[in-house]
Amino acid sequence: MTLEPPPLSGFSFKLYVQWATFLDSEGRVMDSNALRKRIFYGGVEHKLRREVWAFLLGYYAYDSTYAEREYLRSIRKSEYETLKHQWQSISPEQAKRFTKFRERKGLIDKDVVRTDRSLAFYDGDDNSNVYLLRDILLTYSFYNFDLGYCQGMSDLLSPILFVIDDESESFWCFVQLMERLGPNFNRDQNGMHSQLFALSKLVELLDSPLHNYFKQNDCLNYFFCFRWVLIQFKREFEYEETMRLWEVLWTHYLSEHLHLYVCVAVLKRYRNKIMGEQMDFDTLLKFINELSGHIDLDAILRDAEALCICAGENGAASIPPGTPPSLPVDSGLFYSSQDDEVL
Amino acid sequence: MGAYRADDDYDYLFKVVLIGDSGVGKSNLLSRFTRNEFSLESKSTIGVEFATRSIRVDDKVVKAQIWDTAGQERYRAITSAYYRGAVGALLVYDVTRHVTFENVERWLKELRGHTESNIVIMLVGNKADLRHLRAVSVEDAKAFAERENTFFMETSALESLNVENAFTEVLTQIYHVVSRKALDIGNDPAALPKGQTINVGSRDDVSAVKQSSCCSA
Repeated sequence: MTLEPPPLSGFSFKLYVQWATFLDSEGRVMDSNALRKRIFYGGVEHKLRREVWAFLLGYYAYDSTYAEREYLRSIRKSEYETLKHQWQSISPEQAKRFTKFRERKGLIDKDVVRTDRSLAFYDGDDNSNVYLLRDILLTYSFYNFDLGYCQGMSDLLSPILFVIDDESESFWCFVQLMERLGPNFNRDQNGMHSQLFALSKLVELLDSPLHNYFKQNDCLNYFFCFRWVLIQFKREFEYEETMRLWEVLWTHYLSEHLHLYVCVAVLKRYRNKIMGEQMDFDTLLKFINELSGHIDLDAILRDAEALCICAGENGAASIPPGTPPSLPVDSGLFYSSQDDEVL
Repeated sequence: MGAYRADDDYDYLFKVVLIGDSGVGKSNLLSRFTRNEFSLESKSTIGVEFATRSIRVDDKVVKAQIWDTAGQERYRAITSAYYRGAVGALLVYDVTRHVTFENVERWLKELRGHTESNIVIMLVGNKADLRHLRAVSVEDAKAFAERENTFFMETSALESLNVENAFTEVLTQIYHVVSRKALDIGNDPAALPKGQTINVGSRDDVSAVKQSSCCSA
């Protein structure tokens, strides 16, 4: 099989110089498919991410004009302020009688101070960006009160705030991301289960000896890939690499579920070691956890793309409709009330 | 649990779980005990992780496999395997945050619902170095531990206070349960700590892995 230029194969493919050529005179993206393809194969120049991520995440419509986007920003800014005011106006006396609020705030307070603090953007005492993380997450927990706050969300928000660098805009981009990844955090874990199930089907399709090995060793629940899937490999790569990976995933260019092919690609890369050393579930879990920071992103993306093309329709058929990050099949309620307990 | 393949040599492998609210210091207790490391900015735990360390009890090498997971209950459904085969638990709260102590009862209930009755449990009040911020008294915690028949210790992963003792104590107690069972004595008061009842069941209720001397991978 011959392939197009591999994803992220060189900086020459980066979307920068050509950005203006994708827009018409009023700012509409003329060919969103071509744009997504370009990003899929070349990534985005960091300076452009702020604008491009808003499109990729669905905050900006591709056919919106400059003027429409400016209007959207102003409307959304005031909507955000209203939402934020909901929790800001809770008095200490009211908070005393509002356990759920105190619990969520406690969880968020605990998590934001241990999210990417080694990055200059979130570094040091009294860092205003850490407070922004907290405010956005707390506001989100009121915007989507049924889902609330779950550990891992701060990891998902961190690069968005870093890139977008505006409180209200970051909030709405995060909302868009959570429309797709929210089910990862459902109490019944159905979003995670369906993705891990789809992953097992893809491995069965693309590497049946490895599938059989997992089957024989009671590893078919794929819990060892839980962290990968829950927060889109955020803990597995350096920050810059995570941003590159995410924008490729968010193009949904070859598949909405490229992240599952990324999982398969990593597993295949180490399949001989896994089977050769006869890893049992515990050993495999430890091995996978310790891969963090040691995965070659460019190579894995090339493999994932090839696997996705190779799997073709059979691959797509292995992934049930509605599996995150696909948007939910029914357009009714996204979340039932989640009994959110600290414990 | 399947046989654990390891290239080092040990007599017993004990699985111990760390549980307790988010942010009480579970991961730092783990890293302090297994790697002698501590980080004020360690990330929240996503999914499950474990680390191992071997210690000597009597003349035996006991390998501890210590499991760590997210403190938020949301993830329990997918980490139910977390408790499988655990023979010991450190139930951690933060001495500066009373709510984390209030939740200990619920953690204990969940732990007992998922494990065998003879699991060795230690209540651990972590962050004891923050003396000026203490919100849970030693007396209250002791009373709770006595009532619930668990061990109790205050620790500081930051200052490396009692961390070694807490883990060693739990592992030693597990060892006593297992070796008592192996010897089939069944009623040796010397092997039991004061006030601690350990029921030694008849079946595979302490899933310690005993390595025979001829067994090598």
